[in-house]
Amino acid sequence: MDRQFIRNFSIVAHIDHGKSTLADRLLEATGALTAREMQHQVLDAMDLERERGITIKAHAVRLDYRARDGRQYQLNLIDTPGHVDFSYEVSRSLAACEGALLVVDAAQGVEAQTVANAYLAVNQHLEVIPVINKVDLPSADPARVKEQIENVIGLDASHAVLASAKTGLGTEDVLEAIVHRIPPPAGDAEAPLQALLFDSWFDPYRGVIILVRVVQGRLRVGQKIRLMSNRETFAVEALAVRTPKTVPVETLSAGEVGLIVANIKRVADAQIGDTVTDEAAPASAPLAGFEEIKPMVFAGLYPVETDQHTELREALEKLRLNDSSFFFEPESSAALGFGFRCGFLGLLHMEIVQERLEREFNLDLIVTAPGVRYLVEKRDGERLEVNNPEKLPPPGDIAVIEEPIITATIIANDDALGGILKLCEDKRGVQKGFEYLGPARVMLTYELPLNEVVLDFYDKLKTVSRGYASLDYHLSGYRASDLVKLDILVAGDPVDALSIILHRDNAFERGRALAAKMKELIPRQQFEVPIQAAIGGKVIARETVRAVRKDVLAKCYGGDITRKRKLLEKQKEGKKRMKRLGKVEIPQDAFLAVLKVEQ
Amino acid sequence: MTAAGDTALGLYLAVPFCRSKCTYCNFASQVFAPARYAEYCELLARELALAAADGLAGATLTSIYWGGGTPTLLPAAGFARILQAIGDHFTLAPGLEHTVEAAPGTLPPERLDALAAGGVNRLSLGVQSFADAELRAVVRLHRAATARDDLARARAAGIANLNLDLIAGLPHQTESSWQATLDAALEAEVAHVSVYMLEVDDDSRLGAEVLASGSRYHAAAVPGDDFIAAAYELACERLEAAGIRQYEISNFARPGGESRHNLGYWLRRPYLGAGLDAHSFLTAPRPRRFANPDTLEAYLAPLRAGRLPRSAPTWLTPQAEREERYFLGLRRNAGVGMPHEPDEATQAAAAAQHLADGLLERRHGGIALSAQGRLLANRVLADFLETPLALS
Repeated sequence: MDRQFIRNFSIVAHIDHGKSTLADRLLEATGALTAREMQHQVLDAMDLERERGITIKAHAVRLDYRARDGRQYQLNLIDTPGHVDFSYEVSRSLAACEGALLVVDAAQGVEAQTVANAYLAVNQHLEVIPVINKVDLPSADPARVKEQIENVIGLDASHAVLASAKTGLGTEDVLEAIVHRIPPPAGDAEAPLQALLFDSWFDPYRGVIILVRVVQGRLRVGQKIRLMSNRETFAVEALAVRTPKTVPVETLSAGEVGLIVANIKRVADAQIGDTVTDEAAPASAPLAGFEEIKPMVFAGLYPVETDQHTELREALEKLRLNDSSFFFEPESSAALGFGFRCGFLGLLHMEIVQERLEREFNLDLIVTAPGVRYLVEKRDGERLEVNNPEKLPPPGDIAVIEEPIITATIIANDDALGGILKLCEDKRGVQKGFEYLGPARVMLTYELPLNEVVLDFYDKLKTVSRGYASLDYHLSGYRASDLVKLDILVAGDPVDALSIILHRDNAFERGRALAAKMKELIPRQQFEVPIQAAIGGKVIARETVRAVRKDVLAKCYGGDITRKRKLLEKQKEGKKRMKRLGKVEIPQDAFLAVLKVEQ
Repeated sequence: MTAAGDTALGLYLAVPFCRSKCTYCNFASQVFAPARYAEYCELLARELALAAADGLAGATLTSIYWGGGTPTLLPAAGFARILQAIGDHFTLAPGLEHTVEAAPGTLPPERLDALAAGGVNRLSLGVQSFADAELRAVVRLHRAATARDDLARARAAGIANLNLDLIAGLPHQTESSWQATLDAALEAEVAHVSVYMLEVDDDSRLGAEVLASGSRYHAAAVPGDDFIAAAYELACERLEAAGIRQYEISNFARPGGESRHNLGYWLRRPYLGAGLDAHSFLTAPRPRRFANPDTLEAYLAPLRAGRLPRSAPTWLTPQAEREERYFLGLRRNAGVGMPHEPDEATQAAAAAQHLADGLLERRHGGIALSAQGRLLANRVLADFLETPLALS
């Protein structure tokens, strides 16, 4: 198709502002799917995505649209992940587009991810079309939202489209805006091939499938291609577009979006952001913006049943086929046995991986408290990266520890301001910006240590703002800090899986809170169980779980043995979810106690 | 019809009627209009006939146990009707133990006489406590004096083999009120005492209230587990000192006074249960357990139509039998034999673990719960179940 009639666009929004519903509406309006075929939120294909109402993987769908000008257009909708953990993927998806719809809830207005996503789009030089969604809500206030978009993001909102993805109101206006306001793709179909790889996934029948935007040149079936970052070469077996049914095509030319099947074995070979070129006539340089994705959050994953170690490894390998952004390596814990240290893009990513392991692979897991990657310089000059508290050298050997710092954007109502400022201060935040977005809406910018954020920052932010604050962040660097390792001892023995690294100023209070929480979480046992918190061998807090005195079913019940058996079976099942450390049985969730501590 | 069934067994007769429902009660017992008693007795008699015809005809009964509910609420005619059915279809073993559970205050002289005349030779009295405040709190209708009076009159009527039920952990129970209850129990000089511990679970209205931290039914006055454990230990000590020796987690008897019927449950001897929610265990030709429905209509309706109301049997696998031998047998102070590998690997591991942690101890070349183990029996017994579990 003539490039003049192609539009590549993406939809970005804060969570729950209606991105997926709008996408469904566009599919329906262009006849990609009939209303009867529509399953709500077609694009969020994974169960987890539907349940959580978020998009984890990117998708691309080609829509055929006959515009009011009578011409036929090819609209490529590139759906992006919708969570801060996946902002690199978002940026690559946006790089495949010329324009973006910025969906903003007409009642809630601009939120933190609205701002973050809008900036990502603006920085990619995309044409951003504000779409004010849910205008049918009684509390909708489009005028105020327009004002926020102009004041906060600096976009002209005078031509914002008013829509209700739920009722279908404004859908055609959105389509017309895409056609008339987003520029057609540039790029020379005759130039050497450069195609941006913006997603890949593993298909059990066809190997890795990659999703690309051809920036210049042409892809054709049978062509030899090369991935420019790792110089791996493959032969194109098939090309296809999604409508959203998969339709094979012979070629994909500059400006177009589609799938490549090329017998690629591992997702790790097809990294997001990489450039696909022609092996015989390669482009002189890759497309800008490729980064190796580095995990930011780390935790130990252990099977509850030690004999499930092999199953866990196999499950992790299978998951990694489809998600190259998490990493794992074997580690062992005196308390938990053999497991894996895993790295994730963020907390949500960690939860998703854990949930998929439990759900799809039927594994019972213990997850240790999430931490971050520290840079340690030892007195002897050696430098190391530490992502497991157990690997932290003894305090005497450490010259400097640096911790990752993020820049966080928080948008909230100003009545919650006091609580939020205090929270940021408790979490060692440094204020970098403070701006009123409207009469009662505030945007704060903070530099915060990531290790404070991964523990419980987001939950607490939700609490102090009664759910009305939104948060977005990106890594902004490393900073030296006075960090120590806090150990928890159960029945006199340190439980390595419970150790955390934290700032010295917080260690005492958190140690006390953690010991108290462990006391709550560890059920009474046959013996009294002392719990201690210690820093470098010095005990800073102590609690005791008293011994259980009675756990017995006394009655005869006229020979009702089944009742007795059921009770014992329940007890046995409960025990399976406990980890035995020496003589003490510790429930799985106690290993996440550090997340549950109230301060 | 009559495949070879068990030839010797215990008989349990469930009588689900009560004058009032105790707050701690989690049995299928209710307060029904006395008008329904007659039909119940008639249909229970029919059940016995049908059960006998189903492979047990002429079987010898080694014990009979009337449980409840409150069996002593049955009218004399109903009682006689059931005894008649027993005599018609079964053989009574010489010297069989014939127990009736009774609530104090339900034993007028004529009823006592009728029981004795019917062959009842053991009475189990639901005293629960000798502290009136505790009895009132759980809606027991009798008082301590009633219980003392009933004991004396039972003896006078010729029923000398007596049991008292006591409950540790009733609302308002204190150390001194419990001591006083134990004093009174010892003064009664009975052959047998059962000491139960209050069970807090959703199946009773008091238990549910305690779990919900509510204040109805004197739930706020229920003592904690530590108190109940101490009360239980005190009971063990004092009964033992008086020559009433513990032979099972909740049961104490003078030598020879053990309940033969209840021992059958733990030793896995066959028993037939008749009546509402009654449970049965038959061993011939193959071991199986089954139960009657636990609502009155579901129990009565099939019998009206001439059918047994029982559930489909659960046939016991060798694994289930192995597990039962341990989780039932270990309730007895005499304990069980030492498990042996490789057939009993789970049980051998459990034995080793709990011999090491002191919840089990060696006895007569086998194993038995220790004093602490009896209080933590669920934890020990659960470990004798195998994975995967036999039934669920």
